[in-house]
Amino acid sequence: MIRQIIIGLLAMWLLSTTAAAMRAFDDANRRYEAGDFAGAAAAYEKLLAAEGSRAAVLYNLGNSYQRLGQHGPAILAYERARLLTPRDPDLRANLGLARKAAATIEEPAEHPRLHAALQFLSRNEWSWLLAGTALFLGGLALVSGVMKLPRRGMRQMVVISTFLACLLLVASAAALYLRGGEEKLGVVLSENATVRLSPFESAEALGSPRPGQMVRLGGENGGFHYVEVPAMALRGWLAREDLAALRLR
Amino acid sequence: MVISLQRVFRPFAFFAAVVGLTLSSAFAAEFTAELDRDSVPVGNGAMLTLRISGGRAAQPEIPAVENLIVQPRGQNQQFQIINGQSSISTSYSYVVGSQVPGDYEIPAIEIRVDGELLRTLPLKLKVLSDNAGQPPAGMTPQPAGGPPAEEAAATDEGDEKRFGFLTVEVVGSERKHAYVGEIAPVRIRAWLPENARANLRSGIQPEGKAFTLHNVSSRPQQTTEIKDGKRYTVVTWYGGMSATKAGSYPASLSVDATVAVRDTTAPRPRPRRGGAFDDPFFDSIFDNMHAPMVQKDVTLKSDDQEIEVRPLPTDGRPEQFTGAVGNFIFERVEIPSEWVAGEPQQIGVRLGGSGNFALMKAPQVVPPDNWRSYSGKDQFAAGDAASFSGTKTFQFSAVPRKGGNQDVSLAFSFFDPAEGNYKTISSPVKEIHVSGADLVELEADAAPAADPVQAGDQLVAQKLAPGPVKALEPLVTRPGFVNLLILAVIFAVTGKLLGWQRRRRDDPRRAAALAMENATREALENARRCAEARDVPGFFHAARLALQQRLGARWNQPPQAITSAEVGARIPNESPVAAFFREADLHEYSRQTTGEILPRWRALLDEALASITHAARS
Repeated sequence: MIRQIIIGLLAMWLLSTTAAAMRAFDDANRRYEAGDFAGAAAAYEKLLAAEGSRAAVLYNLGNSYQRLGQHGPAILAYERARLLTPRDPDLRANLGLARKAAATIEEPAEHPRLHAALQFLSRNEWSWLLAGTALFLGGLALVSGVMKLPRRGMRQMVVISTFLACLLLVASAAALYLRGGEEKLGVVLSENATVRLSPFESAEALGSPRPGQMVRLGGENGGFHYVEVPAMALRGWLAREDLAALRLR
Repeated sequence: MVISLQRVFRPFAFFAAVVGLTLSSAFAAEFTAELDRDSVPVGNGAMLTLRISGGRAAQPEIPAVENLIVQPRGQNQQFQIINGQSSISTSYSYVVGSQVPGDYEIPAIEIRVDGELLRTLPLKLKVLSDNAGQPPAGMTPQPAGGPPAEEAAATDEGDEKRFGFLTVEVVGSERKHAYVGEIAPVRIRAWLPENARANLRSGIQPEGKAFTLHNVSSRPQQTTEIKDGKRYTVVTWYGGMSATKAGSYPASLSVDATVAVRDTTAPRPRPRRGGAFDDPFFDSIFDNMHAPMVQKDVTLKSDDQEIEVRPLPTDGRPEQFTGAVGNFIFERVEIPSEWVAGEPQQIGVRLGGSGNFALMKAPQVVPPDNWRSYSGKDQFAAGDAASFSGTKTFQFSAVPRKGGNQDVSLAFSFFDPAEGNYKTISSPVKEIHVSGADLVELEADAAPAADPVQAGDQLVAQKLAPGPVKALEPLVTRPGFVNLLILAVIFAVTGKLLGWQRRRRDDPRRAAALAMENATREALENARRCAEARDVPGFFHAARLALQQRLGARWNQPPQAITSAEVGARIPNESPVAAFFREADLHEYSRQTTGEILPRWRALLDEALASITHAARS
């Protein structure tokens, strides 16, 4: 009886939370449709802070910032959405528009086909693929250890699936390794962002990346982040408020 | 009288003396030294001018001053004729500066002019510590070792050009006008001083809003070229420019860049190289190699070119014209032969040519009244670096409204900017059969379905469902990932261990060996008991059984099948096994039921067992 009550309360809490999120999302969408892009952006930000990351919310947030002409935050939101839904064609289209509008230059991929293959899945999906295949192989070894496979056909099937699983394991591990650099990516937010030689305001300015430009983040010192802008072959210190890490910490 | 004459001539004599002294001083040799400023920031230079007039002299030597860098900048000679009198003056220019702040004194410089020793006054120069690269108040900003004051007043534009510039050329067109929507292939070239280092901080953009730039090649070419006698590193892109509105507008492009160039004018001491290179001629070569880099954020711009942009004419505009500007042809058309009225099927078409492919929409099915078309997918394949030529493939659904046999074709209209008129092209006519009756539709149903992605720079619409909450952190960076991998390894290791155990358990040879060992152990135990009970036949029977077990395992035979005869045949007679079998035959069948078990027999048994074990091991 007590267990049923607890389950019922949990279900009610879950439903009410989902319903509240839906209401907030719809409200933000209405603001967007009404042309209140700043209000919509604030509502989406609030929803993200309260509920966590959702691909659709990040995507809509990117649209709102893009409508406001804030290319840096728009590209940041789109890139975050891309971490969750890398194959969304709408997202790719809008991200392309935002990049074009921001006039940013990204480092061209050295091997475009390999790059496309690696980007087909998100790092999370590659991680699950790796863990899944490892568990599959482990489970297969366990079953093979516990019982003798009765038929020859079944044994052949096990050999083939082990081979395929090993291929997937190697591919996913390689993909995660090759995309390891994405762990420390950031996006320039401010129009006045300036890369400096040293981590202080009066240090010599080396260059000014545009809002929306992707940067690789290094260490922190005071209010500055060491950044590398591969597309501009630029390295130096950027004020923390002028950029945002792609992954929320 | 004499006195009066003296009085008369005295003023004239005085005047003549003054004039003579003035003239003599005017044409006497003179040597002066002058600094154009009395203080400079560290790393910057002041201009020192030594002027010799009224005679000829060799180039003066400036005494060395510790930490003071003196860099010759050239010499200038003036020849003047005033009132028939000629005079010559020679000026020597130097840039003087230091990398060490402090007060410096340039001592008096001596020179011999026409045998006369002349000396300048000592000069003082204050070198100020660097204040974030800013020169002291009241002084003209000037790059380190920059040009003299009059040159430093050069315009910003000239200074920008020092760091490079852009040029834009329309490829393959002589026209001076363009049409709205027309895309013109352009070659964009960034001219950077040789050995400059440049980082582009933005994409190439048109100045103003009258033009847009498309499809700029992502991998520019790099060459080295000479322009106006100067060597440049030239980075070349290809792209397409198109006008967005009618009128006359200056068309120019710009790109933000950070450019670092060698400052060959920086003051540096002339090092004593010695040998064949100790000549000022080599200074420029070596100094250029070691000249400091000057870096600056600049905007590289191309020169403005006025272009007349004409609107697309309204006269003769076909109904199905959708904005394509260029010159196109049908390359491939795929229309199914069999249709059902009201049922959609795909039509594929590929258009090739040159022009603004971004404005191209799918051709119209003709006759249009008999068809309803929906927007579909399109794919562009560029034919050149600027994406000016290429092919665009459309795949769209169409629904026949009328049944029966029909002649169908596709029609596409575009504006040809080269000829300045509209053209409509048609694909070859295809005969198709449409089964079913004619459709009777409401107008509202005839509206084509909306595309998820609209052409042009419009955002795709908002998502209407928030979707599930997901972590931005990938699993690989979370502790759970390692736990999963550890679990997989535990599964694998456990599986392997269990498999090994199972295989070991199911091994028939191992089972037989185990059974043999057990039987041997049991027989030996019986033998021990018989020995204690002084049962001689029992001892030998049990001991023989133990040896038979061992030999059976070794020879791969049933133990019962191993007789004394076989042992005698396979084992040498002197071996302990054969000896024990002989003893066993003797006593087992002697019917001597009790007696003392001689230690010798027990020793023989042990020896026989050991020999079998040893032989098996070896």
